[in-house]
Amino acid sequence: MFRRSGTIVAALAAGLLATAAPAMADFWSDAGAKYQGVTLHGVTESTPPSNYIKDVLAPAFEKATGIKVEIETTSWDQMYDKAIKDMEAKTGIYDMVYIEQDIIYAYLARDFLVDITKSLKDDPSLKAPDFDESRFTTFANYFKNADGDLFGIPMEAFIKLYLYRTDLFNDPAIKEAFKKETGKDLAPAKTHEDYTQIAEFFTKWGKDNGKEIWGSTAQAHTGHPASWYEFFESVAPTFGVYNWGIDASKNYAASVAEGGSMNSDKAKTALKWWLHLRDIAPPESAASTWTEVGTTFAAGRAAQGFVYGENAAWIASDAEKSKVVGNVGVALPPVEPGVMEEAEAGKGYIGYYDGGAFGLPVTSKNKEAALLFLQYIGQDSVQGDWAVAAPRITNTATYDDPKVIEMDKTLGGYYTMLKDQGKLFAGAPPYPFHAQVREATAPIFYRILTGEVGPDEGLDQMAAAAEAELKNLGYRK
Amino acid sequence: MRSNRVGWLLLAPTILILAVFGIVPFLYVLYVAFHQWNPFGANPNMIYNGADNFRRLVFDAEFLTSVWFTLKFAFFAVASEVALGYLLAQLFMKDSPGKGFFRTIHTLPLIVAPIVVGSVWRLMTTPSIGIIPYLLNDWFGYDLNIGRDATSAFVITVIMDIWHWTPLVTLTLLAALVSLPKEPFEQAQIDGANRWQIFWHVTLPMIRPAILATVFIRLMDALRTVDEVWMLTGGGPGAATRYVGLHIWKLVFPKTDYGYGSAISVIVLYLTLVMCWLLYVGLVARRDRKRPS
Repeated sequence: MFRRSGTIVAALAAGLLATAAPAMADFWSDAGAKYQGVTLHGVTESTPPSNYIKDVLAPAFEKATGIKVEIETTSWDQMYDKAIKDMEAKTGIYDMVYIEQDIIYAYLARDFLVDITKSLKDDPSLKAPDFDESRFTTFANYFKNADGDLFGIPMEAFIKLYLYRTDLFNDPAIKEAFKKETGKDLAPAKTHEDYTQIAEFFTKWGKDNGKEIWGSTAQAHTGHPASWYEFFESVAPTFGVYNWGIDASKNYAASVAEGGSMNSDKAKTALKWWLHLRDIAPPESAASTWTEVGTTFAAGRAAQGFVYGENAAWIASDAEKSKVVGNVGVALPPVEPGVMEEAEAGKGYIGYYDGGAFGLPVTSKNKEAALLFLQYIGQDSVQGDWAVAAPRITNTATYDDPKVIEMDKTLGGYYTMLKDQGKLFAGAPPYPFHAQVREATAPIFYRILTGEVGPDEGLDQMAAAAEAELKNLGYRK
Repeated sequence: MRSNRVGWLLLAPTILILAVFGIVPFLYVLYVAFHQWNPFGANPNMIYNGADNFRRLVFDAEFLTSVWFTLKFAFFAVASEVALGYLLAQLFMKDSPGKGFFRTIHTLPLIVAPIVVGSVWRLMTTPSIGIIPYLLNDWFGYDLNIGRDATSAFVITVIMDIWHWTPLVTLTLLAALVSLPKEPFEQAQIDGANRWQIFWHVTLPMIRPAILATVFIRLMDALRTVDEVWMLTGGGPGAATRYVGLHIWKLVFPKTDYGYGSAISVIVLYLTLVMCWLLYVGLVARRDRKRPS
């Protein structure tokens, strides 16, 4: 009798232990237990990667830890507006803020962010076993300080691509017509001259054949900073004008007279080249930001163009949104002679490596719980599905995920390009005055776009305005 | 004494709310206006700079241009809204089939958030895609491109504002018209006045307070318009629709030039007060002085 009872008790104990064991071993539920009832608030730009966090990762984290997460996705401008106001006023509303690569230097200069590396070192109990900073791609370096400490968990990273329509570029009749008109074979352009020829050809071809197709996209909004960015981050570098033409080593000089290159001959040539493309691009280009450029390409209205990688996946694969599924090719942007060599030598770059991270404001009232969430989205295990849902790769292991390898084929080799040639691209220069200089010079840039000011004169004015603003801000002595 | 105390007690919540959300922020803006303050500058602290910000804005071509464009925008928008609103109010005074339905439909724009109005108009006016450029091209062969043509962009922002806010004017004037006594109109008809004379000498003077109040409200709104225009044109092309509210927004938020932005805000508030005062003097006070005692 006693023996039978003993067996039952032992079996019960074993059963209880067996069911309890996974819970004991689950870092997330154990770590989250201390923060039951906490709700984390995050603000981010409404992009495919951010929406994935909101719709998939936040609920998954909530399930694993019991910590509630509310992610607010909004427009780019509003996101900054809210985040900066919150951190500036120290209200502590947000526990996570989106840090676009180009704003990190300003945030670091203001000590807005928590040092993630140091925090995890100081409190090892918060360190998730599957989280390892060394697993991030080199893009994470943009979010580190001089000591190598991480201030943001990379959550999106992509390059601005040269997309082209493979169906048009491979069409025998079009190829023949192009050859007849230019004497060249139709292939993705490697030089600006080639790109212009292709653009002019397709715009004319569309007109002659009654088709709504133009030779190039142009992110040329006449009142939105997107146009300013396209020029300074994607076009000017391909002509050898880097870091917006501002040289930090020469007292933040922008004008040629002071040692900068914002109004250099190269910059002026680049601007004229781009303005010409704008003139032969679809009519909506003058009202296009980064989003509309993707839409224009997806609508099949452009034969080639420069499109942010975050849009490349849905353009190439989402038949509900895109008319060019299966007909998208990717290539490196065309460059001037010598620029590719400079990029390979690490002395320049050929385009924009964009992306962002999730940072933890020092004003957050739930730092520990937020640190858990940040580690959760930085784990290798969540990256594969995320990369398929939204075209971004931030961890090196993600490139080898079978789902990502399969996706890479659909995207015409985009991920391979990101992996192998991402080093040729660069993020924004490490200036803490990003928006300030942009806003000081953008009004002149918009006037160049409307033709009120010529490109040469306009760039001279912009260089002068940039230097005046830098002096006003106290950076230029 | 007692009634005074009760009166103050009843007023207290309003005064408190006004102080917290109106007076204190205004005083803070005034304080910031006398400082140089950019949190992303080499020195992120507030530095007292006297009247430098105010001196700077007098010579700031961008600011002066934005004021000029704003005044043009406010004039065309408000004048059109009052004229159109009055006509619609008169239409609603008459009995006609479907009047109630039309009156409801007509007020719908009022409940739409400005940012949504801007988005909808952006969709409708985007070159090649929007319905408006399509129809204009189809019917008149006119290529509307608000991204490139400054005049078109300006006109579209005015039309958008008229579309959004005319119902408010209509409702206000309709309320005024409905409340008018019948006798003066019957008297004028007996005296042989024609429709124009009745409008000019009877209707207009009697609804003048309502018109004035409406114009004040709309003028103040038009002078500080931001959301719709920001969404529609972003202030472009160039600076063609960079109205002063949007100009301040760009200075204060993206550029974080808090000191200068505050100085402009104060001056714009002053300009608004002056314009309303001039309007009041022009439309009410002068007329009252002329009236025989």
